[in-house]
Amino acid sequence: MSKIGLIISREYLTRVKKKTFILMSFLGPLLIVGFILLTSYLSQDKKGKYEILVVDESHLFDSILRNSNKYHLQWAPNEKDYNEVQEIFKKDDELDLLLYLPINLIKTNSMTAKCLYKEIPSTGVQKHLSSIINEAIELYRVNFNNIDISTYKSIKTKINLDVVDIENKENRNIQRKAFVGIALAFFIYGFIFLYSVQVMRGVIEEKTNRIVEVIISSVSSFELMMAKIIGVGLVGITQFIIWAIVTIIISITIFPLLIIDKYDPSLQMNSDKLVNNSFKIDPNNETIQFIINEVQWSYLIVFFILFFLGGYLLYSGLMAAIGAAVDEEADTQQFLIPLTIPMVFAILMASKVIDDPSSSLAFWLSEIPFTSPIIMIVRIAMGIGDSSVEIWEIILSLFLLTITFIGTTWLSGRIYRKGILSYGKKASYSDLFKWLKN
Amino acid sequence: MSSKNIIEIEGLHKSYTDHKALDNINLSIGESKIFGLLGPNGAGKTTLIRIINQILEPDHGVVKFAGELLSRKHIHSIGYLPEERGLYKKMKVGEQVLYLAQLKGLSKKQAKQKLRYWFEKLGAENWWNKKVEDLSKGMAQKIQFITTVLHEPKVLILDEPLSGLDPVNSLLIKNEILELKKNNTSIILSTHDMNSVEEICEEVAIINHSKKILHGSINEIKKNYEESLWTILYSGNQINFTNAVWGGWELMNHININENINKAEIKLLNDFTINKFIKGIVDHVEILEINKKIPSINDVFIKATTDE
Repeated sequence: MSKIGLIISREYLTRVKKKTFILMSFLGPLLIVGFILLTSYLSQDKKGKYEILVVDESHLFDSILRNSNKYHLQWAPNEKDYNEVQEIFKKDDELDLLLYLPINLIKTNSMTAKCLYKEIPSTGVQKHLSSIINEAIELYRVNFNNIDISTYKSIKTKINLDVVDIENKENRNIQRKAFVGIALAFFIYGFIFLYSVQVMRGVIEEKTNRIVEVIISSVSSFELMMAKIIGVGLVGITQFIIWAIVTIIISITIFPLLIIDKYDPSLQMNSDKLVNNSFKIDPNNETIQFIINEVQWSYLIVFFILFFLGGYLLYSGLMAAIGAAVDEEADTQQFLIPLTIPMVFAILMASKVIDDPSSSLAFWLSEIPFTSPIIMIVRIAMGIGDSSVEIWEIILSLFLLTITFIGTTWLSGRIYRKGILSYGKKASYSDLFKWLKN
Repeated sequence: MSSKNIIEIEGLHKSYTDHKALDNINLSIGESKIFGLLGPNGAGKTTLIRIINQILEPDHGVVKFAGELLSRKHIHSIGYLPEERGLYKKMKVGEQVLYLAQLKGLSKKQAKQKLRYWFEKLGAENWWNKKVEDLSKGMAQKIQFITTVLHEPKVLILDEPLSGLDPVNSLLIKNEILELKKNNTSIILSTHDMNSVEEICEEVAIINHSKKILHGSINEIKKNYEESLWTILYSGNQINFTNAVWGGWELMNHININENINKAEIKLLNDFTINKFIKGIVDHVEILEINKKIPSINDVFIKATTDE
């Protein structure tokens, strides 16, 4: 094996064999899958029936508030006041929610109804409650103002806005895709930061261990730096690939167990069963549907790796230079801040880019190499060739990223070779410039 | 000086932004010799060593290795134990020495064979699976020594190889150095430990303020720095001793050993000889012992670097 190969394999193997790496390889995907399942699970209603105790101070709601099997309303005794009813609610295990409709609710537009719970109801339940209250108030006012109910219904409208790209009518769900983009942006940010910091730590370790001089008497300092960057980068890619594979395996094995087959005849016969399957997820759940069917995982993964590599190579070279310039990790702060600012800025700007992925802000941030890995992945996630990003923009961005990392690596190499041999002195920016020139 | 030189340095210059580290250094290091590279802190020794190791590039000048211009191919022929040295703390000793040996061009198999020999020789057989952080300083130093010599380099550059070692281990390493020399290894020893220099070096060079100020065999150098200094042990009165001979000498030091026995250190001036001096005093005191004082390398070092 060549010496560079030898160094790469040492850098790679020592990290991959670490317990934390192995642990993270399996915990990461579990967290991802767990997170997806949790959001899907939380967004669906898991309880079959709600017993709701209603305190209606105006006594106007009893005839107009819509009652149903699922959301079963019981009226609190009139003679009890709100506080007494709360006590009843607390003691009665059958009751799930207490709905408090204050006296002026029906007459004003700004009063608030209250819902007290023992276990927090899902957003679906909350939506249902507020919609039946609104419905009841509307009904009351329609009657009160002697408006014909059919007239009112014809006036009242509820439309959905379907946002469709003229060039590509299939291209919907842009905003939802943006969430995938944001998630990937966070991943890429995390990966770049995590692994380039590992390069920096590795450099500091070799410097403080004082082994570096022995190594660079066998290979050049630039070769050592590059071998370290490549070795750690491979660790990052390995981690990512393991995550992807483990996530797929977990998804294939666990998702079917958790998702109800809506065409299962036994379910259709008895719709209650669907409701009672409290730990299962409705296959119509939008999050699951979207993640499985609509995200273009194949090209997203390819671009994720490309932009991770580009961003990583860009930042890790600079991090190596920082590691070489200091004697201990505590001294890195002053140099790290200027490096993290563009990345944090990119993450902050990601939401603006989602609002308008073809804006000039989005264009520039996805072309400037210090922010492009993060912003470009957001734009790509929102669709290539759609209203988001053109293929030439991606190619240009990758090209600029490549040119820049070659440049920064060269600069870093100059700082690195001086830095690693200068002990006991806290380097300042002017030292770095001196090393660059010399 | 040896007829054959393993390293020849001609007109070497190296400057950093704020100071000159080496100024026109010319040096030749004989094959199979132990060469002492001496000089005060910051004189430029480490820079010179790093240039020979190709860690740094000179601004001007030439370094030749066995007659050829120094190039990357010579890396395997050099073993370097830097002053600032260390090992990966979390790595196991065995993994680490194999790694460093492979970096010096040995195959894994070769490295294992040679390591077995050296580990036995230096009593490190049971350390293979230990983590470096669990080794004592002296143990780590032995491991570093092994990794430096394992690939049987033609030239060994040792920067303070004995610092931090106890007297037993220090002797052990000194003997290893002498044995390596016997087996035709040329050794450059950079150290402030003048006793070791005196014990094992044949040639020395002193660098001071980035310039070479002295170069030659130990004996030659000592001779050049020899002043006509004599120590005389005598029995008798000090006044009688000092008044016996008028002119031509100087009393450098006088110690009264017991009531009648004294030790004088004298320096003879110009052409005045020791014979003339003895003739003068022989009737006044009883001479017990006369010795010529030969300067130690320590004396030479101090004189050479402070006379500058």
